[in-house]
Amino acid sequence: MKGPWDQAEAPRESPPAPAAPEAPHVPVTEARVNGTDFVAAQRSNRAKTWMLILALIVIGFLLGYVLGWAVEAWGTDANRFHLFALSQAGLFGGFLLAFIGVISAGVTLTFGDKVVLSMNGAREVTAEQEPKLHNVVEEMAIAAGLPKPRVYIMESEALNAFATGLSPQKSAIAVTRGLLNTLNREQLQGVVAHEMGHVLNLDTRYMVAVGIMVGLIALVSDVVLRSFRFGSYGTGSSRRSRSDGDSKGGGGAAIIVFVIMIVFLILAPIAAQLVRFAVSRQREYLADATSVQLTRNPVGLIGALEKLGAGETKGPEIGNRATQHLFIVNPLKNFGENASALFATHPSIQERIQRLQNLGRV
Amino acid sequence: MTALIVIVVLAILIIGWVIMTYNRLVALRTQVANGWAQIDVQLKRRYDLIPNLVESVKGYMGHEQDTLRQVIEARNKAVAANPGSAGPGTAPATGATAATIAAESALTASLGKMFALAESYPDLKANQSVQQLMEELSSTENKIGFARQYYNDTATSFNTAVQSFPGNLIANKFGFQNAELWRVSEAERAAVEVAPKVSLR
Repeated sequence: MKGPWDQAEAPRESPPAPAAPEAPHVPVTEARVNGTDFVAAQRSNRAKTWMLILALIVIGFLLGYVLGWAVEAWGTDANRFHLFALSQAGLFGGFLLAFIGVISAGVTLTFGDKVVLSMNGAREVTAEQEPKLHNVVEEMAIAAGLPKPRVYIMESEALNAFATGLSPQKSAIAVTRGLLNTLNREQLQGVVAHEMGHVLNLDTRYMVAVGIMVGLIALVSDVVLRSFRFGSYGTGSSRRSRSDGDSKGGGGAAIIVFVIMIVFLILAPIAAQLVRFAVSRQREYLADATSVQLTRNPVGLIGALEKLGAGETKGPEIGNRATQHLFIVNPLKNFGENASALFATHPSIQERIQRLQNLGRV
Repeated sequence: MTALIVIVVLAILIIGWVIMTYNRLVALRTQVANGWAQIDVQLKRRYDLIPNLVESVKGYMGHEQDTLRQVIEARNKAVAANPGSAGPGTAPATGATAATIAAESALTASLGKMFALAESYPDLKANQSVQQLMEELSSTENKIGFARQYYNDTATSFNTAVQSFPGNLIANKFGFQNAELWRVSEAERAAVEVAPKVSLR
C-alpha cells in the first residue's frame, strides 16, 4: 500500500545507509542513549520537575536569607551585631523569596507554556494557513500515539523549532518561517518528530519549569547585584569606612557578610544554570533517538541538522537565555566558541549527526 | 504468629501484583485498540479524498481518463472490501481481510500512477486546489503508514506482556490473547516494487 511519496515504512525493511560511508567511523565517547524508553524518561522527568521546584525554592530561601542578613549587618550597630546569630531580616527575606518561588511555580505549572510561546513571539496558525506543517505534525502525533499538538510559527528567517506544553495531551510545536521554507518534507518531518519526542518524554513541562524558575532566580540576583553596585558608589562605601573606624570587629563582620553575599549572588545563578545545562544535552540526544523511532528514517533528521548547522548564524536572533534550552539547536549566536562544553545547552551538531549515523549502522 | 504475618504480607503482595499486572494488560490492550481505530480513520479519509481529487484533475488530464477510471474503480473495490472497524481481534492479514489488503494495494498502485502522470501537466501543478488535494492525499498515505507503525509497536509490546513469564499466568487466566500484527502481504510488496518504476518516467 505504499507509494513513492511515502517515507514511512520503506526504511524499516532496508535501513538506509548513512551518508559518506568512507568517513572513518568515530566511536561515540559519551554514554549512549540506551533505546528510547518513554516511560522511564517520563518518570524521571516528573520526579525532576518536582525536585527542581523544591531545589529552587530552597535556593530562593537561602538567597533571601543571605540578602536579609546582609541588610541587617549593614544597618545594625557593629557592637550589637553577631555573625552567627539567627537574622530576623534574613528569615523575612528567605520566606519572602521562597513564597515568591511557590507562587511562580504555581503560575508556571498553569500558564508556563503560554508564557514561553509568547516570549518567543510564536503565533498559532490554522490548518488552512499552513496545511503542510499541520499535516506533518499530525503524522508525527499519530506515530507517537498522542493527540495532535497546537501548531505555532515564529516569523523569523532563523532556522529553529521548539516544543512546549504542560502535558503530552496539551502541547504545542513552534517552528520558524525560515525552517519551513528551507527544509524539505522529509527533513521537516525529522525536526517535528524530534519535538514530538520532547513532548512524549515529558521534557516540555520540565523545560518550561526550568526556564521560568531559573529565569526568576537569575533575575532576582541580577537586580540585587546591580543595585548593590550602585549602592557601593554612594552611601555604601562611606558607611563602610565610618563603621571601620568605629569598631574593627564589627566592620570585619560586615565585610565577611559582604563577601559571602557577593559569592552567593554570583554562584546561585551559575549553579542553577549548570544543573540546567547538564540535563538538557542528554535530552537532545534522547529526542533525536525518539525522532528516528517515530519516523524510522534517520536521513531526514541528519539532513535537517546539517542545514540547521549551516544556517546557524543566518537571520536575526530568536529566543533568549531563559528559553534557549527549548530549541532544537541553540538559538543564541556567538555562544559556541567561547563557552566551554560544560556551559553548552546543546550538544554540537556534529556530535548529534554522528550519533544518528551510529543509530543507522546498528 | 510471625508465620501468620508473613503469610498475610505475602498474600497482600501477590494480590497487589495480580491487580497491577491485570491493569497493565488492560491499558496495553486499549492502546492496541486505539491504534487499530487510527488506521481505520485514515483509510476512510483516503476514500473520501480520492473522488474529490479525481474530479478536480479530470479537466486537466484529458488523455489519462483510463488511469483516472482505474483509480476510482480501485477505490470503490477497497471501500467494498473494507470490513469496517472490526477491532484488533480480527486478524488483518488472514482470510477475509486478505481481500482488503489486496484492494488497498491496488488502490495505492493506481494512485501512484496518477501522481506520476500528474507530474507532466504543468497546468495541474500550478493549480492551487489540486496541489492542496495532492498534499492532503499524500499526507493521508503517510498517516496510514504511521498509524500502522504505531499499531504494530503497541501490539508488539502487548504481545510481549501477554507471553512473558509470569505475566502470562494472568493473561491466560483472564483471556488476554495476542494481537495480530499488520504484516505486509505479497500483493503489497509487489505494489511497492511497481510504484517507483512508474515515477522514474
